[in-house]
Amino acid sequence: MPEVTLLWRDGREERITVSADETILTGAEREGIGLPYGCKNGACGTCVGRLLEGELEFERPQRALKDGHREDGYVLTCIGTPATDCRVAVGAHHQAEMMSTPWK
Amino acid sequence: MSDTHSSPDAGIQEHHEHDHEGPGYATPQAAIEEAEPEKTAYVMGLYVGTDVDASDFLAVVDVDPESETYSEIIDRVEMPNRGDELHHFGWNACSSSCHMDGLERRHLVIPGQRSSRIHIVDTKERRDPELTKVIEPEEVYEHDLSAPHTVHCVPDGEIMISMLGDADGELPGGFLELNDNFEIEGRWDPPGEIQMNYDYWYQPRQNVMLSTEWAAPKTYYPGFDLEDVEEGKYGQQLHFWDWEAGTVEQTIDLGEQGLIPLEARFLHTPESTHGYVGAALSSNIIHFAERDGEYHAEPVIEFDDREHEDWDIPVPALPTDILISMDDRYLFGSNWLHGEAWMYDISDPSNPRKADSISIGGLFGDISEVQDREIVGGPQMLQLSLDGERLYWTTSLFSSWDNQFFPEMAEKGSVMLKADVDPRKGTMSLDEDFLVDFGECEAGPARAHEIRWPDGDCTSDVWQ
Repeated sequence: MPEVTLLWRDGREERITVSADETILTGAEREGIGLPYGCKNGACGTCVGRLLEGELEFERPQRALKDGHREDGYVLTCIGTPATDCRVAVGAHHQAEMMSTPWK
Repeated sequence: MSDTHSSPDAGIQEHHEHDHEGPGYATPQAAIEEAEPEKTAYVMGLYVGTDVDASDFLAVVDVDPESETYSEIIDRVEMPNRGDELHHFGWNACSSSCHMDGLERRHLVIPGQRSSRIHIVDTKERRDPELTKVIEPEEVYEHDLSAPHTVHCVPDGEIMISMLGDADGELPGGFLELNDNFEIEGRWDPPGEIQMNYDYWYQPRQNVMLSTEWAAPKTYYPGFDLEDVEEGKYGQQLHFWDWEAGTVEQTIDLGEQGLIPLEARFLHTPESTHGYVGAALSSNIIHFAERDGEYHAEPVIEFDDREHEDWDIPVPALPTDILISMDDRYLFGSNWLHGEAWMYDISDPSNPRKADSISIGGLFGDISEVQDREIVGGPQMLQLSLDGERLYWTTSLFSSWDNQFFPEMAEKGSVMLKADVDPRKGTMSLDEDFLVDFGECEAGPARAHEIRWPDGDCTSDVWQ
């Protein structure tokens, strides 16, 4: 089973294995690691993180993400399943960072 | 409190608190006369969109000035799952069902805006409410609907919820109906009557319902993007429905003057066709009324954008909530970005006249702290006492939008504040003795959203 390394901005790091019938979110929940989430079906973006290394497969379209977000490496952990070992930056701050904002 | 207008026991003079036959009040004026000053508030508390590993909750707030726990959260009903985004909520019954013997205003219907999960909370014990039922998202998706928003009870014990998207979070939205056992009855409207949805209000004596527009869930959920506005992905239309038939009779496109029309409020008097919608992004308050067989809508209050040194573009006021006092005399509103709570005299509904305002919080508020507590975010969800003398508000808009516009809210949480209103003089002043700090919740700082009173309020009661 692929190993996923979850990285928080405060330096915390956790390694979990995620099976083919799990998502990063459900795999983390099984290990007692609480990641942010909302709709759990790819529409809301609350669970967004950034894929630093590796490959993910998605069971549904990542509707909350625009092309530019995907190009920047943003991924939805609620519907993403690792195809290879991965390193994923997680945490609630990714949602606001992903959006363009009208201030300087 | 008593309500005897349709009761077979109308001759009996002794009426205790729950001793009326149907829920609510005979008329808006009866609500003002009969309601005791509110002692308990129900407030939505949220952790979604933060790193706090906890569920959203219903907060029971003590608003009884005689109580030792005044302005404290005295109980919390935690939801069984995380990530719901509790937002708006409503009652199983209100004054629209006051002809229904045996029906009580007792159960809160609390949707998760992100999760599409619907919670039922029994408030028989007002200060110790209990979660009694959960409708899981899969059941909601079966009707190709998601993103539940506004809850109104409709006459005869049913409950209707505006749904902003389809099962995938795309358009179209619609309306979901629950029966009086809190089971999904099905979809209220034929699919395709509307695309976008948000808030709604019905005025049954006029056989009309008004619905407004936010955007597709997949558009507004992740956050606010100006490009989406430029691409026409946000709403600007009002839909006037035939209430009995469940079909749209008339759609008014407000154009650029009416971008993101959110809260919809009819005057409380059941005869009236007048009301208001807050167009949040355009920062206009739209007045509507029926004339010559059709509805007309135009801006009657316009808030100017303001320059801010940290912004590339002028900052809109963003009036995100409005409400009408039970006597239909005042329209209250909140400008979330600018940081202003305001009241306008609407005794001439087409020509609102500014009565008073408080500049607090937001990006420009004159008052930036209460009891040394820094206010993050501006006035947002409002609730007014039934007698019109106390205005309360919270400061969170929507978790993902809060994170963009007021990022400190995730670390500091929301506050609930209060102003004293003098409806005779048309004035309001901040009550600095009142502060509910959701930042001090045990699991971590929480956001706070909609507020309701156990005995009905200015944004839930409708009259037949």
